[in-house]
Amino acid sequence: MERVRKYWNKPSRSAYVFVAPSIILLILFSVIPLIMAFGLSFFDVPITMNTAKFIGWDNFVEAFHDSRFLNSLKVTAIFTGLEVPIQVLGSLIVAALISKNNKRNKFLRAVYFLPVICSATVIGIMWRMILHSNIGFITAAMQSMGLGKINFMNTPGLTIYVVSFISIWRSFGISAIIYVTAIQQVSPSLFEAAEMDGAGKIRQFIHITVPSIRPTFWYILMTRFAGALQIFDIIYVTTNGGPNYTTESTVSYIYSRAFSSNSSMGYASAMSVVLFIIIMFITVLMYHRMNKEE
Amino acid sequence: MNRKKTIKIKDIVIQIPVALVLVILALMVLIPVVWMTFSAFKPEKEIISWPPTFIPDSFTLQNFSDVQVRIDIIRYVINSIIYAGGTTALAVVVNCMAGYAYAFYDFKGKTAMFLMTLATMMVPFQVIMVPLFLVVYKMGMYDSYWGLIIPRAAVAGSIFMMRAAFTGIPKEMAEAARIDGLSEYGIFWKIMMPQVKPAVITLIILSVNGSWNDLLWPMIVTSSTKMRTLANGLALFIGQNTIEYGTAFAGALISLIPMFVLYIFGQRYFVEGMSSGGLKG
Repeated sequence: MERVRKYWNKPSRSAYVFVAPSIILLILFSVIPLIMAFGLSFFDVPITMNTAKFIGWDNFVEAFHDSRFLNSLKVTAIFTGLEVPIQVLGSLIVAALISKNNKRNKFLRAVYFLPVICSATVIGIMWRMILHSNIGFITAAMQSMGLGKINFMNTPGLTIYVVSFISIWRSFGISAIIYVTAIQQVSPSLFEAAEMDGAGKIRQFIHITVPSIRPTFWYILMTRFAGALQIFDIIYVTTNGGPNYTTESTVSYIYSRAFSSNSSMGYASAMSVVLFIIIMFITVLMYHRMNKEE
Repeated sequence: MNRKKTIKIKDIVIQIPVALVLVILALMVLIPVVWMTFSAFKPEKEIISWPPTFIPDSFTLQNFSDVQVRIDIIRYVINSIIYAGGTTALAVVVNCMAGYAYAFYDFKGKTAMFLMTLATMMVPFQVIMVPLFLVVYKMGMYDSYWGLIIPRAAVAGSIFMMRAAFTGIPKEMAEAARIDGLSEYGIFWKIMMPQVKPAVITLIILSVNGSWNDLLWPMIVTSSTKMRTLANGLALFIGQNTIEYGTAFAGALISLIPMFVLYIFGQRYFVEGMSSGGLKG
């Protein structure tokens, strides 16, 4: 026992004891699943998960002939196209307005950040109810303003906007706070100099704030993009893909094909791989643009 | 503000609409939360009356006792505590150890291991959820606390954050402790860990919040009613078509309050952790 302890107490050896747990866990639960996702996509895996039949590219061929999958890609694209630009630019403007450290701004930041502590389930319950066609407070308020009784959660063509809005509602506060942290690190002398030159707040924002926080902008853009392409939980708890699949995202569809009664793990994996390639392609593209700019 | 007594007209023209926008945004965040909180105390009859009220006309605690009857919410709370507590405890140990190793030791394969760790940050969870489920299933951890906790413990972002925290400590401190006869593990636990307390608190708070609110993983890895967490159990409850609204509000409020308390006391850490990108939001 004593010898074992002595052996592992050498710094060059104890280092491995320190990293081992994380490496083992990451390999088991991140690296292997990623490799498996690629492997599984070439197999037909029945729900019993005892056998797997190699079927080549069949899953991919099926996916690109599956109207529900193609529709889910469209829904995801619409959602991403709405959510990301509004979130990334909107929260930047908000951040610029609340970046000074005073009581009012600190309070506002605390409020905007609040949705972070709400689970998707809580967000789903409150928004589903407040926009509910029979009990919703906002539905009633809008009706009393003469806008008619809008069925927010169950109108094809409209509900996808509502879901995008809820998603922005959930995380614009985090984005804004990340921007605020970045803006506060911009040297105050830059703003002072601009003030001397008579530049107004808006020109200061465009010519000093925005260029100074470029890396943060790219970080938020990339993470929001990847997040939006993987949207699942907000949809699951608000519409569950409805009405008529108009809000069914790719991950929603993958989830239902993997874990519901007509489970097909191989097919779900093939769709995951397609999604992974899309995410990676866009991320690499953005990374490239970012590096060119810097 | 006293700096210049002459406030430009232009500034006022900008300031008023700005304040208005900021207030509207704040109301947009607060109204649903406050309305939900109020509604949890309204009798079902008031909830379904049209037009809906904002402030309750009558006050009741009925919804909170109903929620226990309809779904075993106490069990869900306990499961959420086990999931959040277990994941966080394991995450602190695993990620701090790794962060410490990368910051303080030189060893063969260090760069490769660190790069692999960073690379896992790029792996979208939703993309690997199907095979991850299979791995957990084949390991016999399906529908168990182990299956919930263990796969979620190692987080590249947390390792990265802890490494940054440990890098700030001078290496001489480890040398001095070694001369004093402390073992490598004693140095880590007794000398180094107390030095990075703020980072550890950040890790704890974000991990508790993340797993308490996590929906997807508990849905994938558990199946029986007795294993459901709050986020997962409530989502399945509202997923059913016949729904009692008051019960849903009460359940949501029960799941929100602990995180709200955490937020009141640990807001600084939330902000620090999230803005450093230490953990996935």
